[in-house]
Amino acid sequence: MKGHLTNKELIEYQFKLASDVQMKGVAEHLEGCAKCREHLEQLKRKFSALDLLREDVEVSEDLISQVIEQAGQPVQPKILSIWRTRWARAAAAVLMVGLMFLFVRLSGEGRRYEPVQKTDKVIVKKPLGPARDRPAERLLVAQANEEKAELEEEFEQPSGHGVLASAEPGPAEPGPPFAPASAIELVVLPRRDKVQLTIYNSADLTLVRERRNLTLKKGWNWLQFMWANTLIDPTSLNLEPLEKADNIDIQQLVFPARLRELGRWLIRSEVSGQVPFEITYFTSGLSWRAFYMGTLSQDEKKMYLQGYVRVGNSSGEDYEKAQTRLIVGKVHLLDEIAELARRQYPYGSPWPIAHGGRYDYSGRMAGDEISLDELNLGWSGVNGFFQEEGKLRRREIIKEGLSEYFLYTIEGTDTIADKWGKRLLSFEAEDVNVTSLYKYDEERWGNQTVRFVSFANDEDHNLGETPIPNGNVKIYSQADEPVSPSASRCGQGYLSYVGGTGIKYIPVNEEIELNLGPARLVKVEPKSMDFKTDNYMFDHKGNISGWDEIRTWQIEIANTRELPIEIEITRGFDTAYWTLQADIPYEKHDVTHARFKLNLEPRSKQEFGYTVTTYHGVREEVIP
Amino acid sequence: MENTDKSLLDAHRQGDATAFAELVRRYGNSLLGYLMRMCGNREQAEDFFQETFKRVHEKAHTLRGEQFKSWLFTIATRVAIDGLRRRRRLQVVSLTQKVDCAEGRCAIAVADASCEPSQEAVRAEQKEQVRLAIESLPDRQRATLVLAYYEQLSYKEVAEVLSCSVGTVKTQMYRALKTLSQRLPDVLE
Repeated sequence: MKGHLTNKELIEYQFKLASDVQMKGVAEHLEGCAKCREHLEQLKRKFSALDLLREDVEVSEDLISQVIEQAGQPVQPKILSIWRTRWARAAAAVLMVGLMFLFVRLSGEGRRYEPVQKTDKVIVKKPLGPARDRPAERLLVAQANEEKAELEEEFEQPSGHGVLASAEPGPAEPGPPFAPASAIELVVLPRRDKVQLTIYNSADLTLVRERRNLTLKKGWNWLQFMWANTLIDPTSLNLEPLEKADNIDIQQLVFPARLRELGRWLIRSEVSGQVPFEITYFTSGLSWRAFYMGTLSQDEKKMYLQGYVRVGNSSGEDYEKAQTRLIVGKVHLLDEIAELARRQYPYGSPWPIAHGGRYDYSGRMAGDEISLDELNLGWSGVNGFFQEEGKLRRREIIKEGLSEYFLYTIEGTDTIADKWGKRLLSFEAEDVNVTSLYKYDEERWGNQTVRFVSFANDEDHNLGETPIPNGNVKIYSQADEPVSPSASRCGQGYLSYVGGTGIKYIPVNEEIELNLGPARLVKVEPKSMDFKTDNYMFDHKGNISGWDEIRTWQIEIANTRELPIEIEITRGFDTAYWTLQADIPYEKHDVTHARFKLNLEPRSKQEFGYTVTTYHGVREEVIP
Repeated sequence: MENTDKSLLDAHRQGDATAFAELVRRYGNSLLGYLMRMCGNREQAEDFFQETFKRVHEKAHTLRGEQFKSWLFTIATRVAIDGLRRRRRLQVVSLTQKVDCAEGRCAIAVADASCEPSQEAVRAEQKEQVRLAIESLPDRQRATLVLAYYEQLSYKEVAEVLSCSVGTVKTQMYRALKTLSQRLPDVLE
């Protein structure tokens, strides 16, 4: 063997990957080559790191029991596995068409035109793997669409929108069947007919109400609901028939042992056929937040205010054509929905579900209670709002008060897909009277002047219809002449960003002051002009027991803006014992502060002075 | 005399519940170890473990001439590779496994160390590095390495498990080792 052994040769030798001849050659070389032996030792040391993971793993008795118990279930025979292949289905379809054609020809009715009646698919599910391994869109079995149906056998049957398979089809049995432990012969749900989301912004909480038409068979029926990879709280699941309620009894919701993230409803039906059902549950992961955009007029006395809401979905589930309602107000919850949703098993629910399926909140709401009835969650007003007399108009968000809360209903329906967000206009108000005020207070903002814009949420300000939810606000100013009046109205003139801030919930008739941050065009410069002490007092031992401090200040304010401004200057004295002589009027803001208010013309400067005397020790008694 | 795998499987087919239990106990530790090294996560490994034996139970009648152990690991490999692929696609994050970062594991190791906390901390970190290095391998290479190195299967048995030739197994093994030689940490003496 020429030269030294390569890494490859050494690895192959060490792990016996080489042929016998090669192995022999390498072994001979190693005998006579110390360098290669050293190299091999280095490799051995390197690979000895693998042994760090060579620890014994023991299977827990629980796991063994689960596996053995699982094996105790009878093996489900495969149903029509031939239908898995596309070609087989295609062949079957051709055969079916051929047979139908023959039948029509033979029956003699084929010459007459008859409309073909649309049939719906019935999907028979095969046994499924663990629910957690299934994608989120499998939340409800029935959501399987045609692309996904490759894993399923499909038949054509002239039925309703879905089939609720009987546990034991046939005449109604006297007692309920045992809950099936594996996913067999279960319900196939059709797509949602309608879905309504009520999203709370103060808690990670959304109430989902969906309506689906199920086809029941007379007798016992099982309906399966899966929430794998979603944030649905399984303890909140509720199912109710919207029609024929006297003949349909939702007996129980079972969470089968050993199967995760799915629940099965046992339904006793005295009727067969299609019945609309409503499924309600809480989910986490949907959120909404408000934000605002204000455009100040050139004179900064009016503002065009637009409010938006952004609805985001990270719940793991797509909600198509959902009516969306937003709740403003704080909800007190004992549990975080996300935590409930992520529990391995839903047992031990802290939220009892009252008889009849309605939620009983009495045990979990402290003071603030919302019930479904209180929310008045009607389906009305979902569709057909966007075209009025042939004209398209912008959708509205309808607002209504609700006890301690406020409900915003977004007009129409929206598809809110998982991991998507959507921005919607909440309101817009023109010519909102605003007051611009500059403030200077060293104790709060240092030596910077800060700009504020204030207005009230009332009718005088073209607002006041509803409370304004908390959110971020950005204020722009028209920096130049607008291109045209219409452009001005639409806010399409030249805009400059003035500042932004967060606002808290503003009830109706309350004022709001927006802090727009430092204003660089308005400068305030206080100068200390004089300091002296006076009026020393002594006690009987000759020690100082009191004195006065007299400070003189000169304040210079420069307004370099093209607009007149109003400014408020607050000065603090660190003591409650003070008197003030000033060139201009002032007001005592609080026990330790005085406040000066001035109006400055555009591009102007102004100065004023004041002398403050503070009293210390026994001199404090001078102040009445 | 100890029952053979074949006799136990036959008994299971006949409906003897204890036979299946014995098979689970016989290969349980080894299989769970394999699955844990394949997916690096005990919870996931336990899911795969259950799924593997579920399939063993369902397909017991299909086993013909081959060795039960190879067959078992073949099923487990398919379950693991399919499951990992799905997990990657779904980006599932373990919510129950509170500590899932290298630092966290080290912290736990330090807390558990009975002596020499500093050495234990380094060791824990090295283990984590080894685990990450193995986890970074492609599925087939990882399966080959784990079966051949940790489960001590011969290359022929590995080939049976992975349904490929011995040559392919050796190639996969070499590639895995070559990658690991660059990623493994230097261990403490």
